[in-house]
Amino acid sequence: MEPILLRARGTKNSRSIAAYRSAGGYRAIAKALKMEPAAVIAEVKASGLRGRGGAGFPTGVKWGFVPKDSPKPKYLICNADESEPGTFKDREIIHVDPHMLIEGIAISSHAIGANVAYIYIRGEFHAEALMLEAAIAEAAGAGFLGKNILGSGFDLEVHVHRGAGAYICGEETALIESLEGKRGLPRLKPPFPAVVGLFGCPTVVNNVETLACVPHILERGGAWYAAIGTERSTGPKLFSVSGHVNRPGVYEVAMGVSFREIIDGLCGGVRGGRALKAFIPGGSSCPVLPADKVDIGCDFESVAAAGSMLGSGGLIVMDETVDMVWALENLLTFYAHESCGQCTPCREGSDWALDVVRRIRRGFGRPQDLETLERIARFASQGMTICPLGDAFCEPIKSFLKHFGHEFEAAIAAAQPLPAAKTPVLPLRSGHGWYGS
Amino acid sequence: MLKLTIDGTEVQVAPGTNLVEAAATIGIDIPTYCYHPGLSVVGQCRICFVEVEGMPRLVTACSTEARDGMVVLTASPRVKDARAAVMEFLLENHPLDCPVCDQAGECFLQDYSVEHGLDTTHMVDIRRTFPGLERRLIGPHVVQNQNRCIHCTRCVRFTQEISETHDLTMKSRGNHSYIDTFDGGPFDNPWSACAADVCPVGALTVKEFRFRARVWHLEDTESICPGCSIGCNVTVGHLDREVHRFLPRHNAEVNGWWMCDYGRCLAQGIEERDVARPAARSGGELRPIAWSEAVPMLVELLQSRPAARVVASANLSNEVLYLVKKVLVGQLGLEVVVPVDRGRPRRIKNGHGQWIDSVDAHPNSGGARLLGLPLVDAGQLARFVGAANGPLLMLDERAHPWLASDEAAATLAARTVAVFARCETVLTRSASLLLPAASWVETEGTYTSSTGRVQLARAAFTPGAQAWPAWRLLHGLQAALGIPSDPDARPERLFAELTATVPAFTGMTYRGLARQPGLPVAAEVSDVG
Repeated sequence: MEPILLRARGTKNSRSIAAYRSAGGYRAIAKALKMEPAAVIAEVKASGLRGRGGAGFPTGVKWGFVPKDSPKPKYLICNADESEPGTFKDREIIHVDPHMLIEGIAISSHAIGANVAYIYIRGEFHAEALMLEAAIAEAAGAGFLGKNILGSGFDLEVHVHRGAGAYICGEETALIESLEGKRGLPRLKPPFPAVVGLFGCPTVVNNVETLACVPHILERGGAWYAAIGTERSTGPKLFSVSGHVNRPGVYEVAMGVSFREIIDGLCGGVRGGRALKAFIPGGSSCPVLPADKVDIGCDFESVAAAGSMLGSGGLIVMDETVDMVWALENLLTFYAHESCGQCTPCREGSDWALDVVRRIRRGFGRPQDLETLERIARFASQGMTICPLGDAFCEPIKSFLKHFGHEFEAAIAAAQPLPAAKTPVLPLRSGHGWYGS
Repeated sequence: MLKLTIDGTEVQVAPGTNLVEAAATIGIDIPTYCYHPGLSVVGQCRICFVEVEGMPRLVTACSTEARDGMVVLTASPRVKDARAAVMEFLLENHPLDCPVCDQAGECFLQDYSVEHGLDTTHMVDIRRTFPGLERRLIGPHVVQNQNRCIHCTRCVRFTQEISETHDLTMKSRGNHSYIDTFDGGPFDNPWSACAADVCPVGALTVKEFRFRARVWHLEDTESICPGCSIGCNVTVGHLDREVHRFLPRHNAEVNGWWMCDYGRCLAQGIEERDVARPAARSGGELRPIAWSEAVPMLVELLQSRPAARVVASANLSNEVLYLVKKVLVGQLGLEVVVPVDRGRPRRIKNGHGQWIDSVDAHPNSGGARLLGLPLVDAGQLARFVGAANGPLLMLDERAHPWLASDEAAATLAARTVAVFARCETVLTRSASLLLPAASWVETEGTYTSSTGRVQLARAAFTPGAQAWPAWRLLHGLQAALGIPSDPDARPERLFAELTATVPAFTGMTYRGLARQPGLPVAAEVSDVG
């Protein structure tokens, strides 16, 4: 497949507006501004574009939820928080072609009637925030942002806002809270952001990759875009591949190619010629899949049918040397640290599950522990919490136990019995309760 | 009105009612921690799960509005499993130190654990602790034990939405987040103890009440706060004739769910007394006498020439002030004033989110005004007392702070003064006739607040020692003076007499007051002026 989102990768000065324009950039915005917003939305609907942030919700449909008759201002937020472990595709877009994102933001803002757009970027992406600010200044200088863009009467301001490094601020309502200057805590839904979002106004939150697709859809047509990929998962998809492959990195493929093609073809196979043990297809919160599922297609439907999620496309590859108990402990350490602490099941469950898995790995597991883990995973996911962070740590638990339960059982079988009289005995935490202390 | 079905029973509720309140109308108690009717809904404790037909997932009852035709199950197996799981999560890190926890007995964790929890736990690991935040006085009245906190954020929302002081916040994140003041300074807003009231567990407790009594031993009496003219509704918690605490009692029109710390602390020592029995001064010494001697002495004093003057009090009930007016002004023709002290300004937010400000420091200046008794300030009071040629009767030793001043002591030193008092003050030390008065919690009566509501305060227990409530003193005077009076006088009957004679109170009944949270009076109650 011809590179679309990463077409400028490897070219000189690819971040400059000149390079972007010489590759055909900022033609789509001119075209879109001559169209009615409804026609832009229709084109995006026709493309079948689905959100690239993780949920895979159809983008055109999301835009259509914004009330047309609201007297309030409307906002577009570009979610560049990219905090899911294993995911680093948005950073690549910003590194390679920030103007593609800015053009996408401009077209999308026109479509939903927003005159102010925010790019919420994670705090660790300091360099990337500067790149975006430079690109925004260039675009404004060339008349693609600001007042009366290209004589169309459409105004747009774009602001870059850096987060402070919380995973939860990638969740769209927590992001909005954070952008409003509050603690990043997910909001109760409904109301959804499309109706009551930033500052109480209708708001659309889209992922970087989603917005970067928009100029291509407008320029080359929704039908062209829909022809890429599978019937229901259209377009190109970036996969950020990490773990035990020879060439980790960001790769652009058409939706539907097999994970074997990505791992063995693009990434040069598993490192050291070892056997593949497992892979997480869409970022660390997605259920892990065993090696025998590697031939499924990388589209929303195939991955869901295999029992996982395409998520954000953060493909984590694990070879045969990986201790799955360790791997789960690693993931749970992250989620226990990142739970915002609002909802009881997630706040208590994430830390508890971590304690249990850590204890199993240190050789103090008990046969009942697997039941405890299953119970935590059952009651902290599937709507038991306000936001999907509950699912984010429970789905790994469920899938690790489902596919690699024997490793946990083996660790428990090899465990020393806990001295009955004074359980618990382990210095699981160093004296007091704060994480990392 | 919307019609929905909860556990097979049809319920009609107003639009906007959430499922917790809708279920409560038919007596179904949905457990809640983070939900409080006076605070915003955050839906984060997850204990109030219910099943709604047509919704694939369980929903939190607090954040779900009732809709027409909704079919709700509050006790299905799915709901029970989910609640048991949430209880287990909540208790996973809870220290379970109930024997030494002051919240025990009124703790929602205990209650819901019995009702909805498992009888065991899967937890064997080390429980989370917060060293340094375990028994910490975070303000003048509130003690924090973060180990017990269930992170419901009620206290945080209280300071954001009710006190509007924004002093509490959740610091850190996730399982290690903890409550602290925003700037690390003391938690000292004027309503701080309400944060402990809304705390469903023992994480925040009130310093003044901690470990004074086990709450299940306390008797509760519905009363009114005597601290200012707002008349916050309170519950007096008492045991063996000792008052242990005031708790705010819900009244949407007056104090919502709240009360100020000043009012709450009035409970300390409110029933203690220095004046135990009547005493008369003879030869410079106060000599104990019997009531049967004291009443004739008082009659003699009131009938002496030049005429006696009476300082009544805006702390006395409507019934007492009515008798003051009827007997002392009407029958004996004495000059009576009701001193009014503006006091420090106090305010409380009612159940509709509006601030109510006090106009003075007395619970019943409104009643005195409606009865047409002359209200005086400190200067006028000093002149009234100074100009008295005859004896003086003080119906309340704490009617006005001026009465405790050196100026008052000097003015009164050479006079014959009868004092009806509970505590020893400058006044009682120079009194010629000292009569023991019942305390606030020993007196039943109605009080008219500055917002014009007549409210009933019940007596927690009978007067201690030989004290009499003020109405009994005035009624006794009536009998001794030979004025025809109700032989069966008690506050309820006196109130009936009052409603029959004073137009502003027309139509009110004692029973009505007991049932309703205070009735508004017909006449406008205005400022002292």
